Amino acid sequence: MEKRSIKKDALAGIIKKVAGDMLVYAPVKEEDGVFFRALGAGMEPQTTYANTKNAPKNIFFPHTEKMMKYTRTDKGMEFVENGDPAKDAVLFGSRPCDAKSFTLLDLLFDQEKYKDPFYCDKREKTIVVTQACVHPPYSTCFCTSVDGSPTSEAGSDVMLTDMGDSYLVEFFTPKGEKLLKYFGDAKPDAAAEAKKKEIAETAAAEIVSHIPAKEIKPILDVNFEHPFWNTIHQRCLACGTCTFLCPTCHCFDISDEVKYDDGIRVRNWDSCMFPMFTQETSGHNPRPSQKERWRQRTMHKFKYYIDMFGAISCVGCGRCVMYCPVNIDIRKIVTDISKL
Amino acid sequence: MQNPYIPYPVEVIKIITEVETKDQKTFRLAFLNKQDEENFKYMPGQFAELSIYGKGESPIGIASSPTQPGYIEFTVQKAGVVTSALHAMEEGTKMGVRGPLGNFYPIEYLEGKNIVIVGGGFAFTTLRSLINYMIFGENRKRFGKITVVYGARNPGLLLYKDELEAWGKRDDINLNLTVDKGDATWKGREGFIPAVCEQVAPSSENAVVIICGPPVMIRFTLPVFFNLGFSKENIITSLEMRMKCGIGKCGRCNVGSKYVCKDGPVFTLAELDQLTKEY
Ligand SMILES: Cc1cc2nc3c(=O)[nH]c(=O)nc-3n(C[C@H](O)[C@H](O)[C@H](O)COP(=O)(O)OP(=O)(O)OC[C@H]3O[C@@H](n4cnc5c(N)ncnc54)[C@H](O)[C@@H]3O)c2cc1C
Ligand code: SF4
Ligand code: FES
Repeated sequence: MEKRSIKKDALAGIIKKVAGDMLVYAPVKEEDGVFFRALGAGMEPQTTYANTKNAPKNIFFPHTEKMMKYTRTDKGMEFVENGDPAKDAVLFGSRPCDAKSFTLLDLLFDQEKYKDPFYCDKREKTIVVTQACVHPPYSTCFCTSVDGSPTSEAGSDVMLTDMGDSYLVEFFTPKGEKLLKYFGDAKPDAAAEAKKKEIAETAAAEIVSHIPAKEIKPILDVNFEHPFWNTIHQRCLACGTCTFLCPTCHCFDISDEVKYDDGIRVRNWDSCMFPMFTQETSGHNPRPSQKERWRQRTMHKFKYYIDMFGAISCVGCGRCVMYCPVNIDIRKIVTDISKL
Repeated sequence: MQNPYIPYPVEVIKIITEVETKDQKTFRLAFLNKQDEENFKYMPGQFAELSIYGKGESPIGIASSPTQPGYIEFTVQKAGVVTSALHAMEEGTKMGVRGPLGNFYPIEYLEGKNIVIVGGGFAFTTLRSLINYMIFGENRKRFGKITVVYGARNPGLLLYKDELEAWGKRDDINLNLTVDKGDATWKGREGFIPAVCEQVAPSSENAVVIICGPPVMIRFTLPVFFNLGFSKENIITSLEMRMKCGIGKCGRCNVGSKYVCKDGPVFTLAELDQLTKEY
């Protein structure tokens, strides 16, 4: 594995230099938080943020995305062209939990039969540069409960670790090595490896939220009808915040937008928390109340995804915990389920 | 990379108004590119997304049989945005089709067995595909007795009337049509499907029943087949859930760990027993 060492104050300059050559998404300060944005002239990439408010999934799976264009002819609307092709890009500064979410989304979008071309195109052309969490930023972080860690490599092509006075830069993949030239020639010293190991251990030990996420699958297997499901959803507003902020939620809607003679088919994020999500034209709704929707959300993350792909569909970023307006806490739900 | 979201362009070459209420029509579609027709290799029980640019897409069961080359057919009930747009179409219009999607009736398993087909209302579409497949030429020999029970509320609501007449004349199909309430011209049976199934009483010996229809019909018909000795492995049905992508991505149509669009829509009762009852 190629490794480099850079001075800490050099990082922002490197990000800007890369941005001169290709599309770069980086954390940028905006209004009440830090968000991933395509870095334009005069925009300052953040290097010392806790985590972004939104997960970076929208770089591969945008909130709204053009799938195809069509136009009116005298025989009806006809196909014109595909949505826009992806550009070579770099995602700078995802956190390890968010980087891991890409490996989970890959399981769904990058299957042999029915590869999702929109997601895969962007994913293949984007280099993921992750910033290790030397000090886990929030008390709500629980990555270590879901097979992750503050220094997990999953989903990252390159990882930056804050070593105090420098960054250790590790290039995990050939794709990541395409960025080698921007990081100079300085190699980390002999002590770096041991120091990184120590950082990884301290960081993991600093995680304060621990939940039995990996133990509840057998309980969920047999408790679809348990009265417990009557207890979690009552105060849920069905706002969808939890699903929109979730790095692994991937549900979408497909709709058509026409202006005069031209139209596009777009896909937009959708949410299993919304009442209309499963409602059929007849009025029949297999998930008629928020109870069934919350059961679906829990089951999907901690049972169905394991049945389908062998992995829990949660990376422990804690966003849903932090931003739910009525404080519904997935950590508590998982813990309660473990006691059923 | 092949984009599974882009429909094949097709032309509506024939529209048949099936029922006297005029809200169920059969659309015959021909592929504009020969290659697309070859890529669209389907089996009875599969569905496709009918795609109208500007309006959207609807998942609809394929009503024609793969033994009918040159076109595909769909029978559509007018319901909401897309299906209403379809109903407003004229012959010669171009539209799109995405598919074939989903699994199909287990033809290999059905071979050598006696087949009982029970259809209620306009859910008869993919059953029609299956019947036409089984009785086509040399195919007929691969299956045992074929018994069909098909019913609608009144005679005017029976689909595919010409075909029903032709089937009725064959001695290798036991066709039982029924309506809830007949009219002056109706000479056939009157009665609900469960009762007719009881009268017809097909043997469960080496037999499989395939049943599609409104949920209430299915609920009352299943006990009849249990009493006749059919096991849950030998009762097959097709599920419906709201769909968008049709390829297991948009997360909309799951029942437990199965996506109806990809792992279904065809399931045996034994398989459904393994799933949650959320459909
Ligand atoms: C596997 C399968 C096979 C089907 N086969 C037939 C058939 O042969 N003939 C027929 O008339 N109908 C069939 N349906 C039902 C048909 O898909 C809906 O009636 C249709 O999608 C309604 O669309 P709309 O745009 O007219 O209604 P709107 O209410 O405007 O619906 C908006 C969108 O919601 C989705 N949707 C709404 N209801 C349903 C539903 N019940 N099932 C799936 N998606 C839905 C569709 O994506 C639709 O475009 C089938 C459904 C499934 C799942
Ligand atoms: S964020 Fe909270 S209130 Fe909003 S849908 Fe999720 S659980 Fe319900
Ligand atoms: S319709 Fe999208 S997952 Fe089934």
